[in-house]
Amino acid sequence: MTVLAVSNLSKRYRRGGKPFAAVDDVSFEIGPAETLAVAGPSGSGKSTIARLVLRLLEPDAGRIQFEGADLLILSGAALRARRARLQMVFQDPLAAFNPRSTVARALDDPLRIHGIASRSERPRRIAALLERVGLDAGLAARAIHEISGGQRQRVAIARAIATRPSLIVLDEAVSALDVSVRGQILDLLLDLQRQERIAYLFISHDLGVIRALAHRIVLLEAGRVAESGDARTVIASPQSAVGKALVAATPRLNRIKTP
Amino acid sequence: MTALLSIRDLTVRYRREGVEVTALKGISLDVEAGERLAIIGESGSGKSTLALAVAGLLAEAAEVGGSIEWQKPRSSHSVTASHFQPLGGRDIGFVFQDPSFSLDPVMPVGKQIAEVARTHLNLTWREAYAKAKTLLGRVRLPDSEAALRAYPHQLSGGQKQRVAIAAAIAAAPKLLIADEATSALDTIVQAEIVSLIRGLVNEDGLTLAFISHDIALAATLAERIAVLRHGELVELGDTDQILNAPRHAYTRMLLDAHLGLDAKPLLDRQGASA
Ligand SMILES: Nc1ncnc2c1ncn2[C@@H]1O[C@H](COP(=O)(O)OP(=O)(O)OP(=O)(O)O)[C@@H](O)[C@H]1O
Ligand SMILES: Nc1ncnc2c1ncn2[C@@H]1O[C@H](COP(=O)(O)OP(=O)(O)OP(=O)(O)O)[C@@H](O)[C@H]1O
Ligand SMILES: [Mg+2]
Ligand SMILES: [Mg+2]
Repeated sequence: MTVLAVSNLSKRYRRGGKPFAAVDDVSFEIGPAETLAVAGPSGSGKSTIARLVLRLLEPDAGRIQFEGADLLILSGAALRARRARLQMVFQDPLAAFNPRSTVARALDDPLRIHGIASRSERPRRIAALLERVGLDAGLAARAIHEISGGQRQRVAIARAIATRPSLIVLDEAVSALDVSVRGQILDLLLDLQRQERIAYLFISHDLGVIRALAHRIVLLEAGRVAESGDARTVIASPQSAVGKALVAATPRLNRIKTP
Repeated sequence: MTALLSIRDLTVRYRREGVEVTALKGISLDVEAGERLAIIGESGSGKSTLALAVAGLLAEAAEVGGSIEWQKPRSSHSVTASHFQPLGGRDIGFVFQDPSFSLDPVMPVGKQIAEVARTHLNLTWREAYAKAKTLLGRVRLPDSEAALRAYPHQLSGGQKQRVAIAAAIAAAPKLLIADEATSALDTIVQAEIVSLIRGLVNEDGLTLAFISHDIALAATLAERIAVLRHGELVELGDTDQILNAPRHAYTRMLLDAHLGLDAKPLLDRQGASA
């Protein structure tokens, strides 16, 4: 059983008049409770894949199957019902929210739209969601632009888990978080995966984080799959040129070990 | 070295509808001319607030106490030392944490960069565009000719962030404040940007305030590291001292929590697998 099966996906854009492939014949699968990492240099097509999977973009070719259904032919109520099971956390949290909306409103919307909790129940749900991502319930009344970048990213994660999805697409979701909050969020993601069998499509440039969290990895270069396999094996001994370069450029902490 | 700016007892409170958040509590810090200073600390510790305060970009609702004094620039004789007001764009380049904040969504990125150069360097549009193109090459944007005409939504997250860096350095500012500017960039581009920034500091006499949550990255770039926690400056020292002889328990925690390529995977720690 797979949660998501992507086959032969392609998307072309034009740059300076010339067409180029942002995503070029990409295939992969994700099973329940599995984390597949997608890594690759800036501009290699990671976010484009995320947007295609979420149907925010139409592919030029390829198939996307989500929970056994062809995502590309669903529409209307059937698509909306699936949407609740397929959530996302974007790279650019400010662009993903209405900045004037409050934190409470951003979390109330999915609970209301997908009929997950009654009006009287929702404030309690919102407080519980904030607590799960390590935020103070007092933040609920603040506007999205009145919280810090990392706090905003955690609100986005709280919103994504609100509808109990089977797959969450996370695009650089923890890149701007400090180590302590990031550790907390990674633990939360692992807990959710274990308890609710959520699968993750985890886009990140951070190989350290990928190693810690992901089961498998797909490495992209210029829209194509350069290499894929077990996450730790690939990171420990990359075969592709781009894999080798990404590993070599990872900043290392040159510390003399302190006791 | 002389201080480019002296921050004394800086306190910032955000207030709205009776709710008050103290984001910075009595920060005192000198930023030396020509240095590379990193500011690290956990989410909500006040890093962005400190950067915005230095750049004079805090929201109206923020209440500011203490002082930020700029060294009188040698070239400008019309201002008195204590009243020198740096100008955003010309004296301070700012790269925001979220690139949607830096870039105008309805203007081609080449024009946005050229505009900074034209306004502050008295260039013609033609010269400013040539400068923009050079800058896009320097931040390693592929096909800089085509990139000049791209709108922000046509660029990837990392490409937008690189455009924001190009715009921030377009007027050759004295101080570059980079707020998580490379957090979402892959390690190859990140390393290139780090060496670009290092070059700007060495060759153009730029001063750098680099905000990052990544202590390993901060250490590759900075000579000094300031550690913020809950709005307070808990530790300030040379990079070497911070890494090898941290004085504060919180700094040690940050070092230990670093997820390097040799860390034990969380998956194992919790005994899970698909
Ligand atoms: N405009 C605002 N109104 C009210 N509170 C604010 C505002 N901006 C920031 N804050 C609060 O001030 C504190 C410090 O925020 P700041 O953005 O400086 O943190 P940061 O260290 O940059 O965090 P991050 O790493 O998450 O970006 C946080 O508690 C935040 O919620
Ligand atoms: N709407 C668009 N029009 C034209 N080109 C686009 C558009 N969106 C993305 N691109 C281009 O497609 C390529 C892939 O972009 P994508 O956002 O998927 O990269 P990415 O791997 O997520 O990079 P990053 O790590 O920088 O976020 C890039 O070269 C980008 O400039
Ligand atoms: Mg992206
Ligand atoms: Mg910040």
